[in-house]
Amino acid sequence: MIYFDAAATTLQKPPQVAEAVLRAMKSLGSPGRGGHRYAMEAAEAVYNCRKKAAAMFSAPGPENVIFTFNATHGLNIAVRSLAERGDRVVISAWEHNAVLRPLTAAGANIAVARDRAFCPEETAESFRRELDKGARACFVNMVSNVSGYVLPVYEIAALCRERGVPLAVDASQAAGTMEIDWERLGAAFVAMPGHKGLYGPQGTGLLIVGAGAQPVLYGGTGSDSALPEMPDFLPDRLEAGTHNTAGIAGLSAALDWVRGREGRIAGLERELVSLAARGLESIPGAEVYRDKTGESQGGVLSFNLSGRDPEELAERLGRRGFALRAGLHCAPLAHKSLGTFPAGTVRLSFSAFNRPDEVSRLVWTVRDEAGL
Amino acid sequence: MPYYILTCRSLTYAQRAREVLSAAGFRGAVIKTPGAIAASGCGYSVKLLRGRLEDALALLGKQGLGPRKIFLEAADGYREVRP
Repeated sequence: MIYFDAAATTLQKPPQVAEAVLRAMKSLGSPGRGGHRYAMEAAEAVYNCRKKAAAMFSAPGPENVIFTFNATHGLNIAVRSLAERGDRVVISAWEHNAVLRPLTAAGANIAVARDRAFCPEETAESFRRELDKGARACFVNMVSNVSGYVLPVYEIAALCRERGVPLAVDASQAAGTMEIDWERLGAAFVAMPGHKGLYGPQGTGLLIVGAGAQPVLYGGTGSDSALPEMPDFLPDRLEAGTHNTAGIAGLSAALDWVRGREGRIAGLERELVSLAARGLESIPGAEVYRDKTGESQGGVLSFNLSGRDPEELAERLGRRGFALRAGLHCAPLAHKSLGTFPAGTVRLSFSAFNRPDEVSRLVWTVRDEAGL
Repeated sequence: MPYYILTCRSLTYAQRAREVLSAAGFRGAVIKTPGAIAASGCGYSVKLLRGRLEDALALLGKQGLGPRKIFLEAADGYREVRP
């Protein structure tokens, strides 16, 4: 089966990731839980991953790297820290439910910076207008998981800084292919999964954070245990309970593999997106949602066939050997922005392990499905 | 031989402190803070194995990694040191 669902999770990983997970499961205890050899070796493994992530994303120090279960977990921490009932919070028109639902649950007054896909100047201007009306916080998706639209996050970050508005960035579809520079963004939070473009195991995520973050989980941290309150220092404040040590060991190996390859992976994904888009556009009745210049598109591509339900089409393609995702992709707001709500789209998303011939086979199969 | 034990805010801070010290030629090891001197339950420390305490403290202070407390570990137990 050909896997085109990297936006959900990368299936193929570098072999050293699984090897590191297995080694950790056989030999590591729990970091911060005791002084014996197994606990201390686990502590070193976790610290090494923190250091790598801090260097990769320009965090001030290893303590500013928080291990989460996924990006959603990190975004929940950001929402808990930045938004209270009634607060006006500006978000992009491309947010995932990982942002929309926690903000709704918090009772925030959500203001959407509306725009069209692949129009970064329009997006920046829309944010400027919404921020000028006043905002307690701002949430931005770096790359839409529906359209692949790369938002002008550094411009939006500058607008936030000029107005003193704390910014949280969802880097779920960007980590591993795009520059994520916490210092340059000046963001309060940057959340990302470990299991997508970073090629780590599922159940891992990273949150880069400064001061003032509030926990969503309370419990043991292996520090200041006599006190009933959570510690006031990072990373312990945001990391209650036992770490996913095996997952973190795998993520650490994955970061070693990704670092230095980001440009090549991004280039390959751009090539595959372009190949798929041109092939699909040659099919009568196909609508492909993409940036024809390629300048503001990541490794995600959505399309529809006229008169065909996307879910049904994806199921048929699945039976013919392609793993794709169709529907709303947990991002109804993005589909409303793209004009594809409520049916959604069929989505292709690529990784470092996809090849052009796989894309050509898909295009041929869709053409066949279209009756050509 | 007596050693100094520098208690730290957290395991991560202890690890960072050890690295800073190591890069400057000191030798230290991260240890679980001994129960007799752990003020608020669990915690981690750097055991200074080589180098002058005053120099180590000055270095850590510059990096914002100053210890919570300092103890001298000797054969008859621990004694808090106030530099």
